[in-house]
Order: sequence, then structure tokens, then C-alpha cells
Amino acid sequence: MNIELLHQPESAIARVGLDSGEELIAQAGAMIAMSGSISASTTLRRGKGGGIMGGLKRMVAGESLFLSVFRSPQDGNTIWLAPRLIGDLLVYEMTGQDLIVQATSYLACSSLVDLDVGFQGFKSLFSGESIFWLTLSGQGVALLASFGAIYEVEVDGEYIVDTGHIVAFERSLDFSIAKASAGLMSTFLSGEGFVCRFKGKGKVYCQTHNPGSFGTTVGSQLPPR
Amino acid sequence: MECKIKYKPAFSAIFVTLEPGEQIVAEAGAMASMDSQIRIKTELSGGFFPALAKKFFGGESLFINTFSNETKQYLNLVLTQPVVGDITEIELHGKDMYFQPGAYIASTPGVKLGVRWAGFASWFAGEGLFKLRLSGRGKAYFGAYGGITKKAIDGEFIVDNGHLVAYEPGIQMSIKLSSGLLGSFTSGEGFVNHLSGRGNIYLQSRSIGGLVGFLRSKVR
Repeated sequence: MNIELLHQPESAIARVGLDSGEELIAQAGAMIAMSGSISASTTLRRGKGGGIMGGLKRMVAGESLFLSVFRSPQDGNTIWLAPRLIGDLLVYEMTGQDLIVQATSYLACSSLVDLDVGFQGFKSLFSGESIFWLTLSGQGVALLASFGAIYEVEVDGEYIVDTGHIVAFERSLDFSIAKASAGLMSTFLSGEGFVCRFKGKGKVYCQTHNPGSFGTTVGSQLPPR
Repeated sequence: MECKIKYKPAFSAIFVTLEPGEQIVAEAGAMASMDSQIRIKTELSGGFFPALAKKFFGGESLFINTFSNETKQYLNLVLTQPVVGDITEIELHGKDMYFQPGAYIASTPGVKLGVRWAGFASWFAGEGLFKLRLSGRGKAYFGAYGGITKKAIDGEFIVDNGHLVAYEPGIQMSIKLSSGLLGSFTSGEGFVNHLSGRGNIYLQSRSIGGLVGFLRSKVR
């Protein structure tokens, strides 16, 4: 499997080359185009993130119940994947370490990567923003999407990220929801609300723009549905 | 202080490095990420009533955050805006600058924020009854939906509704029909913002109003 990213950063799209027998798991609706001989099917996923319960958990996380599985019967096939919003893509190589991904940033992964809705999701409920986390583990590659550009922060010590700006982070980091400023009142007044406080050593991938804020800016001017 | 605007023009964000003892003031909600040692202080911008006016009439938040570095090392901070688009830095040397509602992102501590009556002409032009006034000395950052174009005007100049982002005090605003009564509505331009005077203006290449107008017709 080889992945090439085109049209970065505004309209990033991933061209994935699939050889005989290779499988790609993707968010439902992520496929833009593909070679005719690739077979597509839907799955509730096996393993710890699989089955009906896994699917329901993903649905709660704002992901679709089903994932698409693309399987290539021969060498040299290609498939194009893209997210819904404008923005960038990131290819993350999984080499045994776990990666926590914000549910809406997950686009695809190779078939040996396991995905699960982690307990982290419940912590986030208190942040007032319905952000859920997927835990990716195993070996392979993961394709992540962002609203805006992606910047990488190498954390060594402590670092703070607004909950709406997180794409993904390595499990080696300890993660807690914290107040942005001292005092409960100023937390709400500051407009920063709750933030994620990362401790330890590892990488955090952030997006320059918050899809929720953009949605509110435009959505507040639209008539009610 | 070092401020770099990265990912221009579509996904602009301000990457700030604060030296020991330095501060930067930003619109509430502008912080994307930062070193945890940075202290955030939330204040009403410019006192209670000015802040209230700024919130309800200036289209900005009631509060501003001051980010300060009280440590002995360099600390980093990333600031951004809710909409995708460009961000521009301007330097104030005692001369005022007016921002349209929502344009302001951040400024250095020497810059004062206030609200000024913009007039009914501005309101009819879809630009808001009040405008944000920046005075003092220092750097200020503002953002736009789309690209930002700087234009020096001397005399008369016409800007479509919702495309003016910032302008200097020497500019007056009045509202006019773009052509005759019939032509104005058939051309789709309607009212336009008629500027006169001398100074610099900043325009945005797209407007949120335009996007909302497009989406509004698709909402069912």
C-alpha cells in the first residue's frame, strides 16, 4: 500500500495504491473514486472495535455505524479518498504505539489497524463539546483529516490545546480536560472553555481551524431547519 | 516577541513566541494551542460599558484574554480565527485604525481597544452600527474570510457590502444604490458602500454573508 497526498493543504485528497489482497478500511462516504475491480463492502469491524456494540459506540462518537472495506483482487489498483470539509490530510505510520484520534478526523486506515472508541470519550463530555476519541492500535498506516492546516507539536513536559483544534495525539501522552484559565468564572468568560492538557512525551497533531467555530459562525445566520 | 503568520492565505494562523515578561492580548476563543506555563487572564475589554458595547454592537466578544509569559524561558502560542482565510499584521504608530465586527484577532499590550459609533450608513451597508477602534502603539492582527487586499484610496471609492474589513479614520462611509433603482437590484449589487476621503482600506475577497446567502437557499 502506498499513499500519495495531492492538492495540499486546501483540498487534500489521498491516492492510495492497493496491491493484490490488500485491504483498506475507510470512513463511510470517504471514497471519491477507485479502480473498477476493487470490491467494496461494509463492515461493523471485527476485533475490539467491531461487532454491533463497536458500531454503536462509533455512532455515538459521531462516526458512521458502518465502515467501508475496500479490497483489491490484483496489483496496481488505486483508490482516492477525501474528507467532506476543505483542509489537509496526514499519513501516520503506526509502529506499535497507540494513537488517539478525534472521531471526525478519522478518514481511513490499513486493515491491520484496530480502532475502538476509548474511554477518553466520556471525559470529553464535560468539555461541553461533543468530541469523541477513537483509539487506533496495531501496525499499519492511518489517514487523518483536518479542517485547516495541520501542525505537529512535539510535547516534552506540558502543552495545552483547545479541544476543537485536536486532530490526534500519541497515547504516550497523559491527557486531561482542564480549565483554560484560573477560576471557574473566567473559564466560561474567556471563551476558551475547556482545553486539553497534555503531559509527558509524544506528538500532538493540531488543526489551525476549529470546525465547530466555523459552523457556528455560518450556522447562526441560517434559518432554522 | 516574534509573530509568524503561517499557512497563508487559506488557513492563516499566528504562531507567537513570547519572550520572558511579554504579553499579547487576543479575542476570546482565539487560542488554538499553547505552552502550559502561559498564564491567561480574562478581562472585560476596556471596562464594563465599553465591553458591553463591543459585544452587542461591535460583533466582538465581551471579553479579551491576556496571555503572559511569567517564566524565564521562551513560550509559544498559536492564535487563529473562526473562519478560514487570511490574516494581516498592521503596525500602529499613534494613528487610529477601524476594524469591522469580527475582524480583530490579537494585539500587543500598547494597543487600546474601543468602540465607536459607525452610523446608520454603515449599518445599512451591512457593516454594523458600531466599529472597533484601535489606537495607541504596537502591532495588531486581523483576519478575513478569503484573501485580504490593501488599497490606498484618495477620493471616492465603492465597496460591496460585507467586503470591507478595516480602514483608516480619514475615510467616510455613506450608503448608495450601485446604479439606478432598477439597475441596482437587477445587477445583484443592491446597496453599496460609498467611501470617500484619504487613507488605506483592507478588503476581503469573500464574505460570510455571501456564503450564508448561498446556503440559505439550500436549507430545506
